Amino acid sequence: MAELWNSIILEPVLNSLIALSEILFSNVGLAIIVLTVIVRLVLFPLTLRQTQSTKAMQSLQPKLQELQKKYGKNQRKLQQETMMLYKEAGINPLGCLWPMLIQLPIWIALYQSIMRALAATPENLLDLSQHLYSWSVVSQAVPLNEHFLWFQLSQPDRYLLLAILVGGTMWVQQKMVTAPATDPRQQSMTSMTTLMMPLMFGMFTLSFPSGLALYWVVSNIIGIGIQYFATGGWGYLTTPSALKPEPARKIPPAEQQSKVIKKAYEKKKGAFRR
Amino acid sequence: MNLNFVIIKLSKVLILLLPLAVLGIAAFSCVPASSGGGCAGPGAQGWSGLTGYNGILYFGSMDGKVLALDPSARSRGLSFPSEMEWSYTIKAPVPPGSICGPACAPAAPGVKIYGTLAAAEELVYVGTYNGKVMAMNRSAPGYDEEGNPSWIEKGEWFYPRGETKFIGAIVGSPVVAGDAVYVGDSEGTIYALDAVSGNKRWEFETGGRIWTSPAVSDGVVYVGNYDGSLYALSSRDGSQLWKFESPAAIASSPVVSGDNVFLGTFDRYLYAIGSADGEERWRFEGENWFWASSLVKDNVVYAGCLDHKIYALEVRTGKELWQFVTDSPIVSTPVLVDNLLVVVSQSGETYILEADSGALERTVSIGYSVMAPLYAGGNMVYIHARDRYVYAIDVQNGEIAWRFSSDIE
Repeated sequence: MAELWNSIILEPVLNSLIALSEILFSNVGLAIIVLTVIVRLVLFPLTLRQTQSTKAMQSLQPKLQELQKKYGKNQRKLQQETMMLYKEAGINPLGCLWPMLIQLPIWIALYQSIMRALAATPENLLDLSQHLYSWSVVSQAVPLNEHFLWFQLSQPDRYLLLAILVGGTMWVQQKMVTAPATDPRQQSMTSMTTLMMPLMFGMFTLSFPSGLALYWVVSNIIGIGIQYFATGGWGYLTTPSALKPEPARKIPPAEQQSKVIKKAYEKKKGAFRR
Repeated sequence: MNLNFVIIKLSKVLILLLPLAVLGIAAFSCVPASSGGGCAGPGAQGWSGLTGYNGILYFGSMDGKVLALDPSARSRGLSFPSEMEWSYTIKAPVPPGSICGPACAPAAPGVKIYGTLAAAEELVYVGTYNGKVMAMNRSAPGYDEEGNPSWIEKGEWFYPRGETKFIGAIVGSPVVAGDAVYVGDSEGTIYALDAVSGNKRWEFETGGRIWTSPAVSDGVVYVGNYDGSLYALSSRDGSQLWKFESPAAIASSPVVSGDNVFLGTFDRYLYAIGSADGEERWRFEGENWFWASSLVKDNVVYAGCLDHKIYALEVRTGKELWQFVTDSPIVSTPVLVDNLLVVVSQSGETYILEADSGALERTVSIGYSVMAPLYAGGNMVYIHARDRYVYAIDVQNGEIAWRFSSDIE
C-alpha cells in the first residue's frame, strides 16, 4: 500500500517540486509557491464546487434552525424534513464532501514532498534517494538549497512572521465562510472554532519547517482569493460574528416553506412536461 | 437513521476535522525540525562507524556517547567496562535563540555523531552534529559531568572553544594526518586544527555543504561539497591547488589511491579524478547514488551503490569487472579481509564475497538496518547497526562472535 502511494502520488509530486526548484533558479521557496499555485489551479473546479455547495448549505441555515425548533424532539421527522429541504433547494449535501476527499491525498502528497525534498538530516537525504527519478534535472538539483529570503526552509522561522501569517490567513479564510450564528450556544462554539484552528496552526508553525509554513500561507491566500471571487466578496468577514435573532414571524414556518417550494417545483415540473 | 442524514452529519464533522487530520498526518510522518527531523522518517540519529587503535575500538553511539571497547573483553563476555573500556556522554546544549512549539519532542540527552572517530597517539577525535570537534584522552576522558575542569590536564580540547560556540553540523569524519586534524562542516568550511592543542591552523570556505570526510594524501587535502566541487588544498596553509566541478553534488567521501581520487556524485556516477591535476579520468554510471566511499585495492575499485549493487571496477579504465546484487541499498563502506570482500546492505544483510570474482561465500543476517561504515580487525568485521548494537562477525566462519549494546548507563 505504501509503495503504491509512493509511486502513484508522492513521487510524481516530489520529483516535480525538485525539478521546478532547479528550473526556478535553484530556489526551493519559489518552487513551493509555484507548485502550490499549480496544484490549486488543477483542483480549482473541485474547490469551486465545494465553495458553492458550502455557500448553498449556509443559505439554508435559517430554515434548518426553524426545523430544529419545530421538530427538535422528533428526530425522525426532523431528518425527513431536513432531507426534503435539501431536495427542494436542489442541494446535494455531499457536494461539499467529495471535492474535499478527492483533494485530500494531493494535499498530503504535497506536504510530504516538501518535507522529503528539503531533507534536513542525513537520514532524510538517504531516504530521498529512493524516491527520485533518474531525470538529470532532478539529480542536479539535489540536495536543495534550503535558503529562501531570510528563512531556512527545513527549520522553523525564528522571527514568528510565518506563524502569524499562517494563523492570520487561516482566520480570514475561516471567517469568510463561517456564517454568524443566532443561537448564543452555537455562536460561542463557532467563534471558538474560528479562533482555535488558526491559533493551533500558528502554534504548530513554530515547530514545523518554514517550507511547510510557506506552503500553508500560499495555499490559504489562494483559498481566500477563490472564496472572494466565487462568492463575490468577503463573505462573512465583514459581518459581526453574532447576529441579532430575527423575529420568528419574518421567516415562514418550514412546513409552509416546504409546501411553497413543493408547489413551485410541481408547477415547474408540469411546465417542463408540457 | 436515514443513511443520507448520517452522511450529511458526517460531512459536517469531516469539514471541521479535515484540516486537523491533514495536520495530524503531516505531524505523524514528520519529526520536528527542532530535533533535526523532517517528514522522511526519523530525525537525526547518527551512524558512527568503528575505528581501532592499539587493539581498542572507538565509536559514537546513537544516544551521543563515545565508547571504547576492548574486543577481547567482549569476546570473553566480561561486564562493561573492563580495564581498557569506558563510555562518555556528550551532552547536547540547546542552541541559543532556538524556539520550540507544541509539537517539539523533548530535547535529546546526547549529541548525534555521524562521523567515524579518528584515533592517534593519546587522543581520540570526534566531530558532532551540533558543531564541535572534540579530542578525548584515549585511556579515559577527563571531561567531568559539567564538561570541564580536568580536561586540559589530560591534553584534551574542543573546537570552537566556549560552550556556546559551534561551527556547522559535522556529518563526515575527522581525519588525522601528521600533526593536524581535518574536518568539514555543513556551512561548507573545512578546518585544519592542531592535533595536540586544537588551535586552528587554517580554514577554507568551499561555499557548499560538506557532509563527507576529507581525504589527505601527500600533503594535499581533498574535500567534496554539495555544490558539486572537489577541492585539492595544500595541507600546509589551505591554499587551493585545483578544483574539479561535477554537474551534481558529491555524495561520497573522496578516496585517494595512486594518482587517482575516487568519488560518487548525485548524478549517479562514480568518478576517477587525477589527484595531481583534477582532470576527469573516467566515470562509471550506476542506477542510483554512490553514497558509500569506495574501497581500492590491487587495481580494483569496489563501489557500493544505493541501487543495491556492489561494483568491482578496473582502476585504470573504470571497466566493470563484476557486480553483485544485494537485497537493499548499500550505504556502508565495505571492507576487505584478506581476499574476502565484506558488504552490508541497509537491511543488515551481510555478504561475504570473493574479491576476485564477486562469488558469494556466505551471508550473515543482522536483522537490523546498517548505515555506518564497516571496520575490519584481524578476521573480524565490526558493524554498528541501528539497533544500537555493535556486532563482531567472524569472516572465516560467518558467525556473529559477540554483540554489544551501546544502551548502557
